[in-house]
Amino acid sequence: MALTGRLRSAVVIGGQGIRARKLRTFLSMISLFLGVLAIVAVQASSVLANRALLADIEMNEGKDGTVVVGVPPGTESVSAVLDLVTGHPGAVATTSTGAIIGEPGLTPVNPGGVPLRYADQGGPAMKMVCDGRGNCYSEVSDDKPPPRGNAVELLVVGVTGDIRQFRPFQLEAGSWLDFGGQPSMSPRLVLNREAAEAFTRYQLPAEMTIGGSGSQPSPGSPHPTPRVVGAVHDGSSQPTAYVRADELLRWLPETSNAAQSMGILMTPQASASITPALRAKLGPELAGQIYTHTVDSRERIGGQLDMMKWIFYGMAALVLLIGVAGILNVGLATVGERVEEFALRRAVGTPRLLLAGIVLAETLIIGLLTAAAAIAVGVVGLEAAGQVFGANRPTLQNVEFPWEAGVAGVAAGLVAGVLGGLFPAIRAARIPIATVMRA
Amino acid sequence: MTVTPIQQPLIQLNGVTKTLKGQGEPRPILSGVDLTVRAGESVAILGRSGSGKSTLLSLIGLFDRPDGGQYLLHGADITRVPERRAARLRSQEFGFVFQRFFLLKHLTAAQNVAMALVNGQGWLARRKRRARVLAALEQVGIAHLAKHRPARLSGGEQQRVAIARALVRQPRILLADEPTGALDTETGALVIDVLHAATDRGCGLILVTHDHAHANRMGRVVRLRDGLLVPDRAGVAV
Ligand SMILES: Nc1ncnc2c1ncn2[C@@H]1O[C@H](COP(=O)(O)OP(=O)(O)O)[C@@H](O)[C@H]1O
Ligand SMILES: [Mg+2]
Repeated sequence: MALTGRLRSAVVIGGQGIRARKLRTFLSMISLFLGVLAIVAVQASSVLANRALLADIEMNEGKDGTVVVGVPPGTESVSAVLDLVTGHPGAVATTSTGAIIGEPGLTPVNPGGVPLRYADQGGPAMKMVCDGRGNCYSEVSDDKPPPRGNAVELLVVGVTGDIRQFRPFQLEAGSWLDFGGQPSMSPRLVLNREAAEAFTRYQLPAEMTIGGSGSQPSPGSPHPTPRVVGAVHDGSSQPTAYVRADELLRWLPETSNAAQSMGILMTPQASASITPALRAKLGPELAGQIYTHTVDSRERIGGQLDMMKWIFYGMAALVLLIGVAGILNVGLATVGERVEEFALRRAVGTPRLLLAGIVLAETLIIGLLTAAAAIAVGVVGLEAAGQVFGANRPTLQNVEFPWEAGVAGVAAGLVAGVLGGLFPAIRAARIPIATVMRA
Repeated sequence: MTVTPIQQPLIQLNGVTKTLKGQGEPRPILSGVDLTVRAGESVAILGRSGSGKSTLLSLIGLFDRPDGGQYLLHGADITRVPERRAARLRSQEFGFVFQRFFLLKHLTAAQNVAMALVNGQGWLARRKRRARVLAALEQVGIAHLAKHRPARLSGGEQQRVAIARALVRQPRILLADEPTGALDTETGALVIDVLHAATDRGCGLILVTHDHAHANRMGRVVRLRDGLLVPDRAGVAV
């Protein structure tokens, strides 16, 4: 009862104070606005940047918690892995190899499967090499290259199941691979953006030479005619095509198994049964070359953006501080102006703590209103940025305003309110009542 | 002289002292003030400017505490009452009127009066509050000005709003520090009428004034001189 009386009195007195000084309240908000907006913007961009980075890493490496196993190359490994993984719901095996699509017998525009922006740049002859951890990269080749021509080198990744449960690719056109039914005689490909770009940039005959540019196309190299069924965004800048592993293996000569790189992506549960079984199958020597790690990108990239984040936070805090100085200045001036009112209110029995609380509450309300305004501007700004730049920056498309930025804005508003209101509140509490008799 | 039944004094000051320290030396202002005020009694305090009349009222009104002596309210010792309780007592027991009116210019007359009700000491619903405020404005004769802001009121009307503000909680004691100091003689007399009327309802009144005519309308007149309260008229007890 006593408490509600206080609260209600505080609301009435505070409301009268704000209404009597609307312009001043507004000016305080303006002084604070940029600071709070800066905090909101920094927090929002840091969260969004983190998310984008994480999304890229997830597409490239796998979601956090995914167990990644690299298997040493070799015919035994391939069959062991396929045996264990094919059809397993919690595991997907990948087998990567290079392939050239285009006119046979020519050096591709991007030897070694490098990103297209390096295409047609000459330089040393490159070849694609895949290691035992499932990573493929380009290396300088000593072989004498055939003439360059209308061909593109791709990384071809055979998958035994839907890899998207671990690496959340975004489907951009057509459809994803269909793992039901018998393998098709003409391999069905899903291209990544870079590979799709190659197809639109160059007039490529639909002929594929599996094996890559590094190895001189031997007379025995298979020349299947692939069908492109879809396109995905996989976060990679290397032209890549995904294909059913069984369709790929059908075309791969047994001898090329040595050049292949195999990997397994699986859930921890699946790994618990598959990894030991794989070790047993491969025997002690090959098992020793198995490489296993669990994806923990969130933790790893945590540090990467922190430095920048704190620098920006420092600058935003400075802007906020200027705003606090503004609100403090206005607050002190207001209390100075209200000395008689406060003395009188104390004379009629208003507790000093209540008056101090009202002064503090007024600036807190200003802080919160400012935070609301800054958050609103942030939401609208993000929306507008998506509309304007979204076309060429997909990371800005349909981005929801991160709640963390809202929290940061409210916190900044509250902190500014407390900092800006505390001194005026203390000053208000110290006004002697006898002021009303000395005037 | 008729003998009135023994009645608990509203307030009783026994040998109250107060020293104020400004910029210079600490200066004893009150050096042993005795004063008793009963319900319905009115007391005028005269004294030169700077003699300590306001200081004395600020002790009685619990704006401040005495350095020495004893202060009883309804017989209870409140010489060293803590600030929280003092605030409650100021709200419940005292009404204050000052030389300047101290009306908040952005509030109407009614809202200015209601200020004494909206002070964190209990809560009255809006309708009850309005009724009380109107009754107080009625009591000082300006109910028709309830919606006016101070800027539209004359000095006498403003002081009557201030008196309504002092009366709205139905205090036991009214403390008035030179309430007519800023008013012309005629208006001042009207204000004294309004204050005096409150004593008819059993309210105690302590009036600090320089005006002998106003002082003489009180039941008793005392003078503050050299830090002591002395009778101003022969035969009248302090
Ligand atoms: N806060 C203070 N500190 C020191 N001296 C003060 C203070 N307030 C008032 N005084 C002095 O105390 C004396 C009494 O003041 P006051 O009670 O206001 O006198 P009065 O009301 O009788 O004119 C004056 O000399 C005044 O200068
Ligand atoms: Mg005085």
